[in-house]
Amino acid sequence: MADPSAKVLVVDDEKQIRRVLETALPSHGYDVASAASGFEALNRAATFHPDLVVLDLGLPDLDGTEIIRRLREWTEVPIIVLSVREDEKDKIKALDAGADDYVTKPFSMGELLARMRVALRHATRPEAEPVLTFGDLVVDLLHRKVLLKGEELHLTPTEYEILKYLALQAGKVVTHSQVLRAVWGPNSEGETHYLRIYVASLRRKIEADHSQPSLIVTEPGVGYRLVGKE
Amino acid sequence: MTDLGHAPTEAERERFTAAGAASPSPRLKRAKGYLWSVLGVAVITGVGWAIRPYLDITNVALFYLLPVLVAAVRWGKGPSLLASFLGVLAFDFFFVPPVFSFSVSDVKYIFTFVIFLIVGVVTASMAARIRNELEKTRQEEKRTLALYSLSRQIAAKADLDEVLKAFAQTVAETVSGQVSIVMPGPEDEALRQVAAYPPDAVLYGDKERAVVHWVLEHGKGAGRGTETLREATELVFPVRADKVTLAALVIKLESQRDVLSSDQEQLIEAFANLAAAAIIRVRLGQEAEKAQWLAESEKLHKALLDSISHDLRTPLSSITGAVTGLLAEKNAYDDAATKVLLDTIKEGALRMDRFVANLLDMTRLQSGVLRLSREWWDVEDIVGVALREMRDTLLGHPLNVDIPAGLPLVNADFGLIEHVLINLLENAAKYSRPESPITISAHESNKSVVVIVADSSPPIPSSERQHIFDKFYRLRGPSDVGGTGLGLSICKGIVEAHGGMIWADSLPGSGNRFTFSLPVSDQPFQRQEGGEEGRHG
Repeated sequence: MADPSAKVLVVDDEKQIRRVLETALPSHGYDVASAASGFEALNRAATFHPDLVVLDLGLPDLDGTEIIRRLREWTEVPIIVLSVREDEKDKIKALDAGADDYVTKPFSMGELLARMRVALRHATRPEAEPVLTFGDLVVDLLHRKVLLKGEELHLTPTEYEILKYLALQAGKVVTHSQVLRAVWGPNSEGETHYLRIYVASLRRKIEADHSQPSLIVTEPGVGYRLVGKE
Repeated sequence: MTDLGHAPTEAERERFTAAGAASPSPRLKRAKGYLWSVLGVAVITGVGWAIRPYLDITNVALFYLLPVLVAAVRWGKGPSLLASFLGVLAFDFFFVPPVFSFSVSDVKYIFTFVIFLIVGVVTASMAARIRNELEKTRQEEKRTLALYSLSRQIAAKADLDEVLKAFAQTVAETVSGQVSIVMPGPEDEALRQVAAYPPDAVLYGDKERAVVHWVLEHGKGAGRGTETLREATELVFPVRADKVTLAALVIKLESQRDVLSSDQEQLIEAFANLAAAAIIRVRLGQEAEKAQWLAESEKLHKALLDSISHDLRTPLSSITGAVTGLLAEKNAYDDAATKVLLDTIKEGALRMDRFVANLLDMTRLQSGVLRLSREWWDVEDIVGVALREMRDTLLGHPLNVDIPAGLPLVNADFGLIEHVLINLLENAAKYSRPESPITISAHESNKSVVVIVADSSPPIPSSERQHIFDKFYRLRGPSDVGGTGLGLSICKGIVEAHGGMIWADSLPGSGNRFTFSLPVSDQPFQRQEGGEEGRHG
């Protein structure tokens, strides 16, 4: 209940899903409105002024990416996309169009609530703090230092840049191309293999168990997520 | 079809044959033969004249048999007869006294002439007969060879198009012209050109429709030079088997004036019979294949339905049971019991989700539309995601993960390889004792990255080991172990789609080991171990 009485617009054409969310979200302190179609969603967004939108990508009337684009023309409201597992390309398209995060259907309520909290936090607190803490891991942006259990880690400049970028977006998914653009520059988007190598070596330095990472988590087909303890 | 034509007379046929494919060389050849005969006689006369003083003139008569024999063997009956008559005349004129006159002084020479002529005529006709036999044998051989070559070409072909193509080409080469084959289509039965030689030839249009229809209907040849529709530019033959006309063979000869010889017609008929047999063979083959496919897919459907109903109903009943329990008597359960029921619901739902994923993979593998969206991945990354996905199922099993640093990246579809791992992990958890360890390891070997999932389940008997990757195959064992028998066959399909292999073996102690390999193609770049300066603060 990070942000009580935040207003959430739920957009899904399936009644069952709407009913679950309309029931569950108020119990966690959210004020919920819902829409069953893309056009209805655009209207409701204009009148309801939500703090967060939960948007299903498979609407019958409007392409999910198109809805995101139209919303982004006038609002920066965080958008969390719901989509089925097989549609990695759609997820990436939605994220590129301006969605903030996604949850794969069938989703767990805990997961959705966590994503919502992160999205709201990033929306209300755009300024990053200079020192970020994720359990045993401390990223000191001011002194460009990384500490694990109080001991300083030796990271290569690239590793540090990747970690910094993930840390600033902590809790949110970042796509491969977003990291590549941020760390290697605008013309590096196809070079995901570099990213794999550096993330692998970064994990060996910061994760307690690098084969079952708990900090830098892979989002299959989409990108990475730095999971911080809330 | 008002004019069904009249039968060509023998004379016409003769003319066609002479003027047709057999002309013009034979006529020229014959003229040459006569000329050579005359020349031969002249030469013998000259030679005879020169050696006349040394020989008896009856011996000279023997010399004149030479051109007769040569002409008989080389040029046939006519030139040989000519050589005989010329020989007699020349012998009489130049050698028999009185010389330079056709009159004969001695009666005995008349006998010489008669004997000579008889020898000449007999030789000529015998030689000619031999020649004809030879010619016939040669033709026969050529035909046999052509037939043999065509039958060999089409015997091996299982594809109808290939058969027809070879057929059209052989006919076209035999008659030196353009050839096409017109057949009713497989679906709409509309006539269409199905093969042609040269491949771009189009010999079936509005003009030819009437002839082709007639041929298909009557099962007899028609068109140019035949009894029916003789004014057509094309010649059309039926391709028949078992009294059914399967197709029409349309021939357009190079020269508009040409007509086929009866030999050629016979040969084409033989070709057509061969082609008809091949068409029937291919069709039967296709039907058998289809029948087998149908039987197999029916079996598959039944197995699929059985396993779907089993695999969906099992988690569904656990969910329904738990939910109805909770709904009926809300306060009958303490917190611990409630949690067990809720966990049951969650596990059931997850199982159904995994099952749906497997069904989707299966369908895509089955229909051949499985497209790999390959990217460069660290195997450890895929293992990590699969373990995270399966953490609830694997709960209680100690996990050993052994993946060395610096393994080459694999160019793979993340989601699909993840499914392979999930299926292997699910099996490991399902078939082994609770709280027994599960090991996942990877290494590089032989230009592949090899991933191994090992557990401590009862060893699979070696007789069953080769079947476990078959669709719907399940080990005979405890019946409470759910599963479609789809999992491993999907694993196999996915790994093989990546160009890798999957196999199972048993560990010496106890337990089973599932191994799959993913080929490591050229890495996109060189790994730079320590290429960057380590930074200190």
